[in-house]
Amino acid sequence: MKNQLKVLRAMRDWSQAELGERLDVSRQAVNAIETGKYDPSLPLAFKIARLFGRPIEEIFDDGSNGGKNDGQ
Amino acid sequence: MMDLTEAKMTDSDDMAQSSGRPLIWMIMSTLGIVMAAGAIAGYMAEHSAQGGGPLGTPGIIALTVFGAMIAGLAYLVWFNGKKLKQSGGALTNREKLNRNIMLGCGISGGAIGMFLAFYDVIIVGSEPSALAVLSDSPIAPAIAILLAFFWAVIIPIVAWFWHKRVIDEQEASAYRDGGYYSAYAYLIGAPTWWILWRGGFAPEPDGPVIFLLFSLSWSAIWFWKKYN
Repeated sequence: MKNQLKVLRAMRDWSQAELGERLDVSRQAVNAIETGKYDPSLPLAFKIARLFGRPIEEIFDDGSNGGKNDGQ
Repeated sequence: MMDLTEAKMTDSDDMAQSSGRPLIWMIMSTLGIVMAAGAIAGYMAEHSAQGGGPLGTPGIIALTVFGAMIAGLAYLVWFNGKKLKQSGGALTNREKLNRNIMLGCGISGGAIGMFLAFYDVIIVGSEPSALAVLSDSPIAPAIAILLAFFWAVIIPIVAWFWHKRVIDEQEASAYRDGGYYSAYAYLIGAPTWWILWRGGFAPEPDGPVIFLLFSLSWSAIWFWKKYN
């Protein structure tokens, strides 16, 4: 699943480890989500959305909206 | 609201160098050291069995080669350990705890394996073999109770703590995938081996070998899913 996590993290100038600490997951998990190799659970997706103050569908794109979120 | 494309990418700390790579190098190098040390021990045991005495030129060359291998592999362990330590600054607290538990389990397992292998060769008197750790020779009851306690009591406690307090959902998913694929490999592989043995096409199924293959498969898939 495509997502904007890397961009949102860069906007706040956080490292993967810093974001991992805030989400209580490993740096490896942040990396796997950013690269689309792992899709987070719904609770983690909500946590990410709350952390960045954006709706889930603005951060994650399951491809059903025709790539509307790709690069915004 | 700032547009997402306006963000400046700052990925200097990203996972271009995954911590999985130095870790796998350390594990493989350590296994290589154990095997090279086993080869030296086996060579010396064979030399003693044939009357001992000074080593000939081929013996000296063989031991020098194995010694050089051990030195080279020890350097790889040190070098990758340094890389792992350097990347430690970027690890979350959860990952540091995870890494320490993994290292503790690896060191404990390695020490027990070495002990069992040497026990089999030195106390029982078996031929030195890379599979000495899987020997079915009798061991002292006290040692059996101690090792069974470690395996049946300590390991589940560590595993419970690891699952509940240490790993995150991405690693749990990788671990589940490893178990899933390995369970199928076991369910398909073990009966196939058994049937082929009954048909006279394969050697008798070996429980410890099946256990080892199952464990290795689970670990390899977990590692791949976690770090790839």
